[in-house]
Amino acid sequence: MLLTRNSVELLAPVGTWDVLEAAIEAGADAVYLGGKRFNMRMFKTNANFDDELLGKAIAYAHSHNVRLYVTVNNLINDHEIDNMRAYLSLLEELKPDALIIQDLSILELAREMNLTVPLHASIMMNTHNEHAVRTLQDYGITRVVVNREMSLDQLALLKERTGIEVEYFIHGDMCIAHSGQCLHSGVVFGQSSNRGRCLKPCRWPYQLIDMTTGKTVSDQDPGPYKLAMKDMCLYMNLPELIQSGVCSFKIEGRMRTADFVKNIVQVYRRAIDNYIADPTGYTPNLKDWQDLQDSRARDFSTCYAFGNPGPNSIGYSGEREPRFFSQAVREADMKNPTIKPLATAKSIQEAPPELAVRVADLASVTAACQNGAAIIYVGGEAAKPSLPWTLSTIAQSIEEAKQYNAKVVVSTPRITMERECGELEHFFTSMNEIKPHGIMVSNIGALRLAHQLSNLPIQADFSFNIFNHLSAKLLTDIGIRKATVSLEATYEQIMELFAKSSLPIELIVHGALSAMVTDHSIPGALLGRQEQMYEPTLDTRHYALLDTAGQQHPIMLDQYNRSHILFAKDLCLLPHLQSFQGIQHYRIEGQYYSPKLIGLLTATYRQELDKITNQKSAYVFDTALLDTLATVSPRELGLGAFRYRVSR
Amino acid sequence: MYTIGILQLTQYLDDAVHGFKHGLAQRGITAQYHYRNADGNAMQLPKLAAELAELKVDLIFACSTPSTQAALQLTEDIPVVFTPVFDPVGSGLVHSLSLPGGKATGVSGMIKAEAKLDFIHRLLPTVQNLGILYHTGDNNSLAEVDNFRKFLQPGITLIEIPFNQAEDLSNLPDLLPIELDALFLPIGRVVEENFPTIAYYTDTIQLPIIASHPPNVSAGALGALVANHYDLGEDCASKAEEILKGAHPREIPVDIVKKPEILLNNYTAQNLGLEFSAELLAEATEVFE
Repeated sequence: MLLTRNSVELLAPVGTWDVLEAAIEAGADAVYLGGKRFNMRMFKTNANFDDELLGKAIAYAHSHNVRLYVTVNNLINDHEIDNMRAYLSLLEELKPDALIIQDLSILELAREMNLTVPLHASIMMNTHNEHAVRTLQDYGITRVVVNREMSLDQLALLKERTGIEVEYFIHGDMCIAHSGQCLHSGVVFGQSSNRGRCLKPCRWPYQLIDMTTGKTVSDQDPGPYKLAMKDMCLYMNLPELIQSGVCSFKIEGRMRTADFVKNIVQVYRRAIDNYIADPTGYTPNLKDWQDLQDSRARDFSTCYAFGNPGPNSIGYSGEREPRFFSQAVREADMKNPTIKPLATAKSIQEAPPELAVRVADLASVTAACQNGAAIIYVGGEAAKPSLPWTLSTIAQSIEEAKQYNAKVVVSTPRITMERECGELEHFFTSMNEIKPHGIMVSNIGALRLAHQLSNLPIQADFSFNIFNHLSAKLLTDIGIRKATVSLEATYEQIMELFAKSSLPIELIVHGALSAMVTDHSIPGALLGRQEQMYEPTLDTRHYALLDTAGQQHPIMLDQYNRSHILFAKDLCLLPHLQSFQGIQHYRIEGQYYSPKLIGLLTATYRQELDKITNQKSAYVFDTALLDTLATVSPRELGLGAFRYRVSR
Repeated sequence: MYTIGILQLTQYLDDAVHGFKHGLAQRGITAQYHYRNADGNAMQLPKLAAELAELKVDLIFACSTPSTQAALQLTEDIPVVFTPVFDPVGSGLVHSLSLPGGKATGVSGMIKAEAKLDFIHRLLPTVQNLGILYHTGDNNSLAEVDNFRKFLQPGITLIEIPFNQAEDLSNLPDLLPIELDALFLPIGRVVEENFPTIAYYTDTIQLPIIASHPPNVSAGALGALVANHYDLGEDCASKAEEILKGAHPREIPVDIVKKPEILLNNYTAQNLGLEFSAELLAEATEVFE
């Protein structure tokens, strides 16, 4: 490949005017910054640029031939759409070189408003497959900040297949969970990591517990900070990075000082220039490397650039954590809900609402059907030691459900990288013969594939982060028939979305939910032995993280070796069903439950939904039902995000 | 033309730097500034201080106690002006406020316990049982608790709630006595950083928090009486002027905050079913909604 100065872009973070000047002076090709509104660094009021300063910053950058991107990368609720429209028209006038976006509604607004400013997909969009990229390209996205979990090899392939510009985090803070899919802070604190307010539960200390014995797995425990990712640093791997075809090298740190940003930009600038001038004769500058080391906060790792780094990417001791943002708290129980019935814009329907149940095995299909489930979700991730759904068990579940007039919808994994997409092609094609009643997808890439390969109705899972009616409209436009609302949305936000959306909305009312999903295998990193190809205990035992509030978070290890870290309490909205009147689609997330519990939950929810339909305002909830559920539930029950009036 | 080094722990304290520079400019003092910021990483400070020493600065303006300590550890005889150091004597930076005795002087960010207690009384006139939650490993916190013990007004019972490590906050409900009317958070990093965990628990029991760290107010504390860092920096400029004109820091008394500011959070007040007095609202520098 013939390289020029324009082959790669060094992209620096900017939080204040000082940093802007420093980054440009140090040789950044482009900078990114946030306005005072709608971006991922909402905690600090003295950072970010107000509208006037934004204009000046753009002019300043352009006068130095530097590109400037504005982050507009929050999820937004229906309340915020008008402000977003106004903000976008301001940005259209100011003409930055691109907007970095997360919420699907911005794509919808960009069409409606004929925006000419280029759009880049934020890391928060969790883009990790070529099919997702193609759909984003259809909507005018010209660049994707790809998942941190992707390796350089995967990026090269992605770029080759789609032609998209690829931006990659090459230096700075990392998340252990998949970006845009981490619900921990949002649900527990009402402060969403998808809205720039993450309180970093991944930086809490945890003990690993063997759930079979209930005891701490202390053998060779390297330290309590089991989720604390080290900082990314690709300085020593610049040649591989450049040759992979990544076009924009992104430095993390919009809260950093001018000095800090300047140093890092200078070091990478020199390396890039030296490499491009003479690739074969290039060697890294060891003094610069030492400088980076000396001024580091956390230790460095190349993270996922060369494949899954395992325990090497975790700073277990916590010694070098620069600061903490919170400590573990006891999750909300069933007290103090903020659900206060609102008058909805839609008239209450006479037909009883539909109850769907997600299950892990055939016995649970039967239990759910016998007790009144109308829809059964099968497929997707299995939690070891459970086995994944096979084509044959899916076919059997359809046969079984048919006897009860229930429908079977097949779900697909939440994260679908190259491997999973390849498998999905086979899977979707097979579904044309097996004929379930529908497909539930978890990301826009899987959606595109499902569309291409099958004629079945497709619905969108909660991982689409649907928070507002415009995002729902976009999903309708790309062929979605039903969408599950974001698990971070609160009562008010859900009812507003429901009132404004013409797309059928499904609400998860009960279940064990995952706070984080990560490619890092937590027990594997601690227990896997290097010399062995296979560690059988990982497939047969259940592990959990014990936090400092004394709560256990089960780790569900799936067939792709991803860890799904559950909340310590299971969501339960049973006492509040009446407040959701009008919503016609409810779901129990039961894939981690026994068939017996599935039966009881399905019967209980079905009975209460029917009573509400029949008795209307005369309905009274019998609290004894809750006591029964609490005694048989594997974990305590809680309100999740419904502790909060609004999700901030 | 002087050469002045600025040793900063975190950009959160940059208002003090702006005030300092402005104060010197107003006094007609021109200087070349060398700014070093550890970005929160205190381990970096000795190295950054050494860099300033190499630049042969005439004076170091040190923000925070660790920065000042790093500047004082230099073997060179460079005078140091510090702020918003909470407890200059207790942390060993000076011998006494009136006669520092070493190479450092400055302006302390400490607000007297009397003033804070008076503020708490005005904010919540009916408070009887006041909790004070503090980290036993933090010298600033310990100093403030000590001050509170000394100046307690009749009618208020101070209930001390010590904890030894940050993770203890995870079980705060077990630490909080039932009879509390309000919770005061003294200066101290662990309490300040982990404020969301404290507020998470106090929210459910409708317990008002009076904070000492400004960002904790916008994050949900009911109010705080705080030092204005810009003003502290400006006051430091007069100390610097004396030194640059030949006085020795050992003889320049350390000042403390002159005009503390009131910060209030009205959203929190509404959630607690409280209303601020018109007087307090008028006096407040900032009211968060």
